[in-house]
Amino acid sequence: MKPNEYFYQGFRSMLPVTTGAIPFGAVVGTMCAEAKLTFAQAITMDHLLYAGAAQLASVELMSQKAAALVVVASGLIINLRFLLYSAAMSPLLQNSRTITKVACAYLVTDQSYAAMSAHQDKLKTPADSIQFYFGTAVCMLIAWHASLMAGYAFGNFAPTTWALDYAVPLSFLALVLPTLKNRNYIAVALFSSVVSVLLYQLPYKLGLIVTALLAIGFGAFLTRKKDPR
Amino acid sequence: MIPAFYFWTCVLGLSIGTFLIRYSMIGLSARVKIPARTRELFSFIPAAILPAFLVPVVFFHQGKVEWLHGKERLFVAVLAAVVAFWTRSTLAVIAFGLALLYALTQF
Repeated sequence: MKPNEYFYQGFRSMLPVTTGAIPFGAVVGTMCAEAKLTFAQAITMDHLLYAGAAQLASVELMSQKAAALVVVASGLIINLRFLLYSAAMSPLLQNSRTITKVACAYLVTDQSYAAMSAHQDKLKTPADSIQFYFGTAVCMLIAWHASLMAGYAFGNFAPTTWALDYAVPLSFLALVLPTLKNRNYIAVALFSSVVSVLLYQLPYKLGLIVTALLAIGFGAFLTRKKDPR
Repeated sequence: MIPAFYFWTCVLGLSIGTFLIRYSMIGLSARVKIPARTRELFSFIPAAILPAFLVPVVFFHQGKVEWLHGKERLFVAVLAAVVAFWTRSTLAVIAFGLALLYALTQF
């Protein structure tokens, strides 16, 4: 697949979003160094797993010598949300080659999926969407690995007084708005906002996936077909 | 020091499991025809999950500015939503939000 204009559009749309990913990558890199992982271990884990929140949680659990099963299970619970992105992307990839599917799946992140869905209106065909998605994903991949390596080598370089951690939720705020196409979507977003606060205290960040599933259920309820009788 | 065998067991388990989660529905897509109703429900996914990243962070952060009683992130989010609505620009929202939060917490 040769990159076309949609690829570059996707790449560019992702540049501001990396403001949130870069300090997060620096934190994970710093943690890997503090947990005394070798550089090879840190970088191999980073490329194999490529899921920031799970990397952070599992490095922390491994330094506390948690049971391997606990490390794996809690990381996978954090990553369960990727199931939703995989589902949402599946209609676009129905007729793609296996290699494209594998690459798309490996590159799934919150940010790439959110960026693509925010621009869904101008992406007319599945091919355009996939190009755009790969653009966002490659941008994310570069920013993430580079910031993680820099964090490993130099420690946490992001100035803490800037509260750059807030760039991740802020980018999601910007990316969710274009997807709120009518009152049903707005209602689902409000439902998700309220439920996420109520469920925030659940362990293993379960609140996130449970909120998402309940909110989709709420969307299904709002758009249910009226009983024909 | 994390023992090497333990480390690689965890990393392989996590990596294989995570890839299978990511690939699951994409992999099934060729074999299963996706009904229109299911696609409609998939379109709710951004609205269903993205606010759940933002809103709890806004509510549960302990802030410093007294007159906002630790609600400065809430304040920033509300105004950032207005900026997002006007400009439709991710860059503008992030730049505005971070600048305002910095201003509220540092001065």
